[in-house]
Amino acid sequence: MNKNYIFLTVLMLLLALGTFFVPKKQLVSHEVKPEKLLLDITQPSRYVTTDQVAKMIIEHDPTLELIDVRPADEYDKFSLPDAVNVPLKDILTPEGQDNLGIEDMNAVFFSNDDIMSDQAWVISTRLGYKNIYVMKGGLNCWIETIINPVEPPETAPKTAFETYQFRKAAGMYFTGGNSIKTDTGVKKAKIKVRRKKKEKAASGGC
Amino acid sequence: MGPLIPNEIITGDWNFVIAILIGIAFGFLLEASGFSSSRNLAGVFYGYNFVVLRVFFTAVIVAMVGLLYFDYFGWLDLSKIFILPTYLSPMILGSVIMGIGFVMGGFCPGTSFTAIAIGKMDALFFAIGLFIGIFIFGESFPLFKDYYYSGSMGNVTLTDVTGIAAPWFAFGFTVIALAAFWVSAEIEKKVRKNTKEYKF
Repeated sequence: MNKNYIFLTVLMLLLALGTFFVPKKQLVSHEVKPEKLLLDITQPSRYVTTDQVAKMIIEHDPTLELIDVRPADEYDKFSLPDAVNVPLKDILTPEGQDNLGIEDMNAVFFSNDDIMSDQAWVISTRLGYKNIYVMKGGLNCWIETIINPVEPPETAPKTAFETYQFRKAAGMYFTGGNSIKTDTGVKKAKIKVRRKKKEKAASGGC
Repeated sequence: MGPLIPNEIITGDWNFVIAILIGIAFGFLLEASGFSSSRNLAGVFYGYNFVVLRVFFTAVIVAMVGLLYFDYFGWLDLSKIFILPTYLSPMILGSVIMGIGFVMGGFCPGTSFTAIAIGKMDALFFAIGLFIGIFIFGESFPLFKDYYYSGSMGNVTLTDVTGIAAPWFAFGFTVIALAAFWVSAEIEKKVRKNTKEYKF
């Protein structure tokens, strides 16, 4: 019998034995998920479109609170104007939760796609926070629709052209347009969140 | 790092691109392992050719042990991967039907398409039968729908069910597989005269 097979047999045995010495990860205890959460997850009502977000930013909607859940280094490279950065992994820390549950504010999570922001949404919903939303499609969709909108075909309905017009204008607003070359950065202003005692939002839920 | 799409390293649009790449690789490896021959495949049931057992067991133990290391190195977060939900008794029945079809037809669904790719007529008829079967199943599905969805255990792993840590399963399977390799090689040597043809 081939020597290679003896070698491979021993190697595979050693590798399998090695898995015993791989340190264990802490398993998260599975809590019972309330039926309500399940119901809410299936509802698309948590999504806001990039158009809605753009409109609110342009109109300086005071109730809008943009929360970027991507890692800090990505946030430093690019983000939406006036967005605060709460990386997904920090969402459970007290600093992360300071941005949630502020009265009369609508928190909008966004990330590159909407998977991470959806996760942030689920976590904060489980913690009992209200008025939180997810920007559908995330920043990728933002670039596609607001910054580089595609002109609809001539046969498209009138509303499609209206949306396109709005997006073109919004795109100019955010990029500085073609003529006025200001520094594009409506740089992230350091937002001072008023830290306010929340009515035990975080303690309930799970 | 992984899984790439849930971690937003790449977008979900890549799903089909990755699927086609994996599909090509899978088909190539099936063919390279000799799985496009129904004699090779059915041999495991008659006890003269154990290439199926060896190839699949190799894949299983390499993947099992490999994933545990990948999780440790942080390349793949095992808590984020999809686990197929378990329906115990429908799955057992399904495997029996699959096994009967396997030994009768000499192919499993994937290998029949590999065999068609290299021009095997028997595989072509097998695949036609496959689609007739799928059609009948689809049309009569309401009849056994209740059974099909019965005994759901959710997305559980062996560790969840038994409480025994994953390395025990990885090690146990590895020992069983390696033993099976050596034993089956011995059996093949006894049963077959022309062992040169199928080099082990």
